[in-house]
Amino acid sequence: MTIEYVDAGEAINHSQLSSMPHVAPDVTRGVNYDRILQARSESHNWITYYGDYDGKRHSLLDQINVENVKDLKVAWIHQSSATGMMASTSTYAFEACPLVVDGVMFVTGWDGLLWALDAVTGEQLWRYKHAVPFDVTLCCANVNRGCAVANGKVYMVTQNAQLLALDATTGEKVWQKTIGDVRAGESASLAPLVVKDTLITGSAGGEFGVRGHIDCWDLETGEQRWRTYTVPKPGEPGSETWPAEGEAWQRGGANHWVTGTFDPELNLYYAGTGNPAPDFDGEVRPGDNLYSDSVVALDVDTGEIKWHYQFTPHDLWDYDSTMEMTLFERDGKKLLAHFDKNGYMFVLDRTNGELQHVTPFVDRIDWGAITRDGKFMPRKYPDKEGEPCHFFPGPAGAKEWTHASYNPEHDLFYVPVADVGATATRRRREFKEGMPYWGAAVEVDVDNMAGSVSAFDSHGEEKWRYRLNVPMAASTLSTAGNLVFAGTPTGEFVALHAETGEELWKFQCGSGHHSSPSTYTVDGKQYITVPVGWGGWLEGIVPGMSGQGKGASLITFSL
Amino acid sequence: MTIAEDREALLAEIGGQNKATIGAVLGSGSIAKATERADGTMEATIRIAEDALAWEPSVLVLPHAGTVELTIINDDKNTHACLLPSNGDRKFIGLLNHSKGRATLELDGPGYYWYGSPAGNDEGRGLTAAIVVGGEVPPEAKLDRPAQPRP
Repeated sequence: MTIEYVDAGEAINHSQLSSMPHVAPDVTRGVNYDRILQARSESHNWITYYGDYDGKRHSLLDQINVENVKDLKVAWIHQSSATGMMASTSTYAFEACPLVVDGVMFVTGWDGLLWALDAVTGEQLWRYKHAVPFDVTLCCANVNRGCAVANGKVYMVTQNAQLLALDATTGEKVWQKTIGDVRAGESASLAPLVVKDTLITGSAGGEFGVRGHIDCWDLETGEQRWRTYTVPKPGEPGSETWPAEGEAWQRGGANHWVTGTFDPELNLYYAGTGNPAPDFDGEVRPGDNLYSDSVVALDVDTGEIKWHYQFTPHDLWDYDSTMEMTLFERDGKKLLAHFDKNGYMFVLDRTNGELQHVTPFVDRIDWGAITRDGKFMPRKYPDKEGEPCHFFPGPAGAKEWTHASYNPEHDLFYVPVADVGATATRRRREFKEGMPYWGAAVEVDVDNMAGSVSAFDSHGEEKWRYRLNVPMAASTLSTAGNLVFAGTPTGEFVALHAETGEELWKFQCGSGHHSSPSTYTVDGKQYITVPVGWGGWLEGIVPGMSGQGKGASLITFSL
Repeated sequence: MTIAEDREALLAEIGGQNKATIGAVLGSGSIAKATERADGTMEATIRIAEDALAWEPSVLVLPHAGTVELTIINDDKNTHACLLPSNGDRKFIGLLNHSKGRATLELDGPGYYWYGSPAGNDEGRGLTAAIVVGGEVPPEAKLDRPAQPRP
């Protein structure tokens, strides 16, 4: 006898089995280009990745200050660790910078997650979860650095190279674009940047021999406005820095995997680019390999490269230059500061890329040297097949992707510094699409390491140093409360005196920090918020801490 | 060490519940391909046999990215559930003993995904299975370069 099945019905969204209201106030409707141009003037919000187009990560909020920061306490915690099997199960990390608009926080997680939270209580308002393939190609872990908001929508990229526009009140998807080729080893991890009526994104995948690019998308429809490749084709400007014959340019890397900065007066988007591929085997790509390890200044309307400056020509150490290009003014000049993986601080005239000066910002640099006027002199690099070469800084650099902040009142940059070396042994391999293409065996030192939050003025002079016995691996946050906030790999979230580096407060968050804190106020009360969740490319950044344990929380503090 | 020719015999040895292992080893069961309607929507059935604590098939192949409509059957004499990947949110369905339900998933491709039964340690006992999505990304998302060698 056949027994009828019990009707189990239709599968529902998992988030329906939660206390979420699935709706958020319509706070991003009025966020547009004009407002983002003035983002710092509304410091009660944090409406774009760096807090402002200039990349300073400096807030004008001063309710929490040097006098009262000792009273800072946890206001709320948002927790969401992994569910089920996901890509890079053991190495995912919470790397985002939370955005806040009028009391609503938008923060991305790993594995296609984005939450809208009540910024006062931490209550989840809605959640979006993209399905990310388990086998997606990721060089360094399952991570995402943040989202963008404008005109009633939230925008994010996913690890499998999709660009999403979500309704900011419900988290429902409005449109989706495929922005990279996962079969080629492309992925995406950066926060998109809203500029005018467009979004700017970049790609990741430099460890797999892709061809890097920067893209511009229509904010409303997702239609592509332009794409600029960061490795030129034969015959294009810069192609003379690649072998005239062969395939090297096709696999040249130079990915833009960290959000750029923007000068609206010059109409230029400053994009940092990553390592050339293969990372350590330069013999297959003789030449300077433009535009790897560079800043490229793009006309934001056309994508045309107006000028470039290369920080590490013909890179042999994996010294990406994707990290922030901080825009600041000095003596009436429009300048740009950049702390590179190669251990040097560069200051450029951002109107034309002309070098102003170069200064080392980490104690140990022995790969070579760069003179103050920019002469590049490599000394130690993986050269002969099978012969180990030890060098400082290691491939994660003297400063990884995590961001410095800049307090214009003090003319001080607060830099998360890593001081650890590595050994690379050249091992040539044939290129195969989608496979790792490093050209070396690499081992980063597990001991003999140090780190700091170091304060440099814009001339490169070190003013103070907050010392750690492990490399720093999280962004700093500067506030007008005369404070610098920073999270350490060992879990402490610290507040430092902006002028002296004196530790004024700390809280043990229970997991290492590898993210970007932000600050905001709601109803006149200031909050500091920081994603906490140890992971990422720990074998490159600080392998001596790779067994520290995981975490996945967003912790928000107030007085 | 045993070589590849012995694969089927070895799998038979470890297959099922409470044999070599306590549960079923993930991905060691059958494989099947979804069918496709004229409009590109894909269809497939996944089920749990009695006392198997494993999804049948253990690998479901979709020819391309897009929408798949699943029929989900629990033929077991125990209660299970199913938590599936889909763009927007995971899809959940409870599966009483001898029950049948449905799920509609939207998945990108190429790539593969795991799903499971989020109840007790169903996932570890064997109720974890894969959905494999084949195909290529859209032409406009490909890099501007000549075709490259693949492994």
